[in-house]
Amino acid sequence: MKTLQFILKKLTGALITIVAIAIANFAIFRIAPGDPIRMMFKDPRVSTEQLQAMRVKFGLDKSIGGQFIDYVKQLLHGNLGFSFWQKRPVADVIGDRIGQTLILVVTALVIATTLGIILGAISGWRNGSKTDRTILSLSLVLYSIPTFAMGILLLLVFGFILLLFPLGGITTPASGFTGFMYLKDVLWHMVLPAFSIVLWYVGEYILLTRSSMVEVMDQDYIVTARSKGLRESVILRKHALRNALLPVVTLSGVNFAFAIAGVIEAETVFSWPGIGRLTYDAVMKRDYPLLQGIFLLFAVSVVVANFIVDLIYTRIDPRIKTGAAHE
Amino acid sequence: MEIKKSLFSRILITVLVLVFVSAAAFAGGQKEGSATQTSKAVDARFNVGFTTDQALSTLIPDESWQYMEMGCIFWPLVYDQLWIMGPAPDYKPIPMLAESWETKDNQTWTFHLRKNAKFHDGTPVTAEDVAFTLKYLPASDPAWEYEDTDCDDIQVIDDHTIQFTLTAKHGGDYPPVFWTPILPKHIWEPYKDDMHSYDNAGAVGSGPFKLKEFKADQYIWLERNEDYWGNKPGAQTVVLKTYGSAEARNLALKKGEIDMIGYNGIDPLSLSSFKDTQNIEVKIDPGITIDWLSFNLHKENAITDINVRKAIMYGIDIDRIISIAYLGYAEPADSFMYKELPDHNPDLPQFTYNIEKAKAILAEAGYRDTDADGTLNDPETGENLVFELLGPSDWTQEVKMITLIKEQMSDIGISIKPKIVDLDTFYEFWYAPEEDGFDISIGNEEPGPHADWIWEFARSWDNGGEGWNCAYYNNAQFDEYLDDMAEQSDRGARKADLFKMQEILADDLPYGFLLRWKSINPVRTDRFTGYTSTMGGVSTWINPWSYFNVKPAE
Amino acid sequence: MSNTKAELSINKKRKQKIRNQKIKDFLYLLIDHKMGKIGVGIIVIFLFVALAAPLLRTVSPHQSGNASEILIPPNSQFILGTDDLGRDVWSQVLYGSRVSLLIGFVSALATVVTGTLVGIIAGFYGGILEEVLMRIVDFFMMLPALPLMIVLAAVLGPNIWNIIFVVTLISWPTTARVVRSQVLSLKERPFVEASRCIGAKNSFLMFGEIFPNVVPILFAEAVIMITEAIYAEAVLSFLGLGDPVRMSWGSMLHFAFDSGTMARAPWWVLPPIVSIILLIIGFSFLGTAVSDILKPGYKEKKGL
Repeated sequence: MKTLQFILKKLTGALITIVAIAIANFAIFRIAPGDPIRMMFKDPRVSTEQLQAMRVKFGLDKSIGGQFIDYVKQLLHGNLGFSFWQKRPVADVIGDRIGQTLILVVTALVIATTLGIILGAISGWRNGSKTDRTILSLSLVLYSIPTFAMGILLLLVFGFILLLFPLGGITTPASGFTGFMYLKDVLWHMVLPAFSIVLWYVGEYILLTRSSMVEVMDQDYIVTARSKGLRESVILRKHALRNALLPVVTLSGVNFAFAIAGVIEAETVFSWPGIGRLTYDAVMKRDYPLLQGIFLLFAVSVVVANFIVDLIYTRIDPRIKTGAAHE
Repeated sequence: MEIKKSLFSRILITVLVLVFVSAAAFAGGQKEGSATQTSKAVDARFNVGFTTDQALSTLIPDESWQYMEMGCIFWPLVYDQLWIMGPAPDYKPIPMLAESWETKDNQTWTFHLRKNAKFHDGTPVTAEDVAFTLKYLPASDPAWEYEDTDCDDIQVIDDHTIQFTLTAKHGGDYPPVFWTPILPKHIWEPYKDDMHSYDNAGAVGSGPFKLKEFKADQYIWLERNEDYWGNKPGAQTVVLKTYGSAEARNLALKKGEIDMIGYNGIDPLSLSSFKDTQNIEVKIDPGITIDWLSFNLHKENAITDINVRKAIMYGIDIDRIISIAYLGYAEPADSFMYKELPDHNPDLPQFTYNIEKAKAILAEAGYRDTDADGTLNDPETGENLVFELLGPSDWTQEVKMITLIKEQMSDIGISIKPKIVDLDTFYEFWYAPEEDGFDISIGNEEPGPHADWIWEFARSWDNGGEGWNCAYYNNAQFDEYLDDMAEQSDRGARKADLFKMQEILADDLPYGFLLRWKSINPVRTDRFTGYTSTMGGVSTWINPWSYFNVKPAE
Repeated sequence: MSNTKAELSINKKRKQKIRNQKIKDFLYLLIDHKMGKIGVGIIVIFLFVALAAPLLRTVSPHQSGNASEILIPPNSQFILGTDDLGRDVWSQVLYGSRVSLLIGFVSALATVVTGTLVGIIAGFYGGILEEVLMRIVDFFMMLPALPLMIVLAAVLGPNIWNIIFVVTLISWPTTARVVRSQVLSLKERPFVEASRCIGAKNSFLMFGEIFPNVVPILFAEAVIMITEAIYAEAVLSFLGLGDPVRMSWGSMLHFAFDSGTMARAPWWVLPPIVSIILLIIGFSFLGTAVSDILKPGYKEKKGL
């Protein structure tokens, strides 16, 4: 019963946040200077009639209140609106790009999480040793290198100088590849951008797993297990790591949502046609509906990720008192 | 507890698999690259490189044709026009869909279409398609509205003859309906009232190339139209590729991934890396782009004083700008008209760099540094002479130019505040001088040899000039010459009008002309020959000829 | 009444003394900490560079050179070579440190001040006020930071103060949250109760009693915020949204990336990258050291 109540409370909280973001979304882009309709026509000779016709078409002739009602109505129908810039539904524009971002982010995060957990566990397990100190400084250094800086370095060294990897893009243009060949082509293009993301996140995961491990190591059950004379590797796997992973799981969930929003850097350096580049272009084109759609997507994914993490938390760690989880 | 264990081991396995696969892909990918290289030579694939900001996001016939570099190439290759401007040196009009044309009064024109032209879906091109295009395309987007497409009356005489009456007379050396793609009526009919509402994913035209695949912002894959009425191009496939940066694109040319640069050639700085490169020939052509300064005459400050504008022009060391920002690959400009064209007025006042003269002009007009802060003060308001200089961050050379102008202006006591914005914001400020978003702005255009439209940049703001007039300039006399020039078919009278117009602009200085940069184009000669140069290089909006003319090398 | 006042003033002096001792201990521990040492070392070097930039530079960072001075590799005249306008890279790097540090410190200060105010008020008063404030905090934390920064920077215009504003707007909620949870436990502590009993005003309780106790946490927060602000400025400038008048490391990279000569002129690319990385590492190390030191028991372990 308590769990259900907790879930309900979390769910309402999540919904309120999404609604608030949807409203703020509308406001942020309206107060921005610049006339999006005028920007739709690069040719400056556009007549007032043509501008007016476009305003009517996109509902921008109405008052702010009227526009807001339209916006809410559309949202309730699951309609994200119509992109000013690409002149097609926002959902289509985002749909064309989201897959390319997901494949990049998921691959990068999975690699980062795994490497981070392994290295972090070793580091935490050997707390205070030379290995620990090496891993710790390494992760701090990696965590301090901005993704775009890492991207430029990788591009410069492995792309421009060593000529090992493609210099950008997601596929070989007009290759005609299908099936497995196509997949290979994409993966090959993904190596550098993925690693520029991996190397940043891996630092974060190492730090987190390590500190979590260190905490767990002091717990009674580890001490007990040791005194029972269990093998170290068994203690590591069966007792320590299992409990230390909890915050890491939380972080992966939240990170996943934030990584989608933060992938702009890698996408810019490697001209990866994903949602990050799209956001940047949409800002430059003052494409409100597209920006609203993208921001809503970001916000919803963050909220949903948080919500799922909360659920997993209560599920796998019954020690958490559902009532106090707010703190 | 079981849940956690399986979760962890599952993640671990997935990662290991993924790492393994990407490693395999890397190993395989490299082999792939070399494999395609050899097969490419066989199918006569002509690869052309663009940068991301030049790529097309849609195939809608909006401003993307004229304002996006890849669009300037894509549309003329896939869509035939009535006639096309020929290559250098004489740039004569060449019949395309129209075999011939005639007019008695420069206002009513008759075009005779060729009978064997077909759209890519097999439908013949008829006068109906031309009438449809003329009627609805200019109305759909201002980018298509020109005096030479603005018709009062359009009549289909028969399947292959069309007659239309323009709203104003059209003079000069070229027929009307310049650079307009003829759209198939049977496809566009349902969207005629709002042509932006059709995504044109199939891009059915009648040109020498057919669309095979379009990936937004990534590439356009074209195949030769085997049923084309005219000479078939030598390249069987044309791929317009996109690269993340100019540097990546240039490297791709060196590696042989592309054969030619898609637009505007390369940066002078990159030239040295192409010298003495095997299989690469560097073509250097006169420029098509003219760079100038727009002075915002709407502002209520000293920029409206002709003396200040003159001093600024004398204070700019254009030779230094050319030697540093363009490494010498540019020449000074003094008009919208290229110096080698007969209509260029050779007697225009020249603002040769003269710092003393600039200072003297300012001193004489009363500008003195009354507060001794190194910047001159306006005698009326007492304010410092501080001007915002607008420019887009995307134009690398122009941003350098702004930095240099700022330095040079401080030498004559004028303080420049650079205002570098993204390209879209730039255009919004630039074309709206009445909103006072700038004092001075960098600007450029690619007029080309047939460019009556460029003079619209100086048509009086109050006389319909709002739009292109980015200086808030007004001069009724200029408008008179401009209107007369547009309608004149007499060469001598046109020339006299143009001379007068150039003179007026040089006296009034709404625009300060700076320079015209050369086009530097490295092209690969090992796979294709027959690159065609015009002003602006081997691939521009006035030059689709390289695409038509290249042939696989022996 | 006067009696209490005197007591308070004695109290104050004693507190001052304790505080000074605490700061001394803290600095000692920081220098004693291996990472702290490195971090402080790096930061001090950059601070020195920023302050002494006019002395260390060879020419003005903005002065363009002659045609023969464009993109020349490092030599005796130009220690780190020149860029595509013949400007000295070394001087640009020197002056770039000013932008990064200025944005880092000012944003961190603004963030900490805003976050602390909100956190203390929310934690201290509780009730509806807390609920509303924390909802706002939650809301801001849900927003995708980088895209929002890009939107705001593009909308507000490229200017160093706008960047500071944007960074602050994005980061203050974290601080507010941390401070609030501290305040929640602090306000129940006996010394606050005691003060309340002798009739201290709420403002005194909040800023006289509770605030000094959150300062150590704030210090740790501020270090993190500096790191994030430096990072944010670098990203925004790299994307071309930086201040065009002040050359920063991020904008150097932007121009280098755009110029199409990265591979030809690595001396133009590497110095700003290395500087950004080093400075962030410096603050990260400092941050790690500070949070280690603030851990309960650390001090005792070190025998203080």
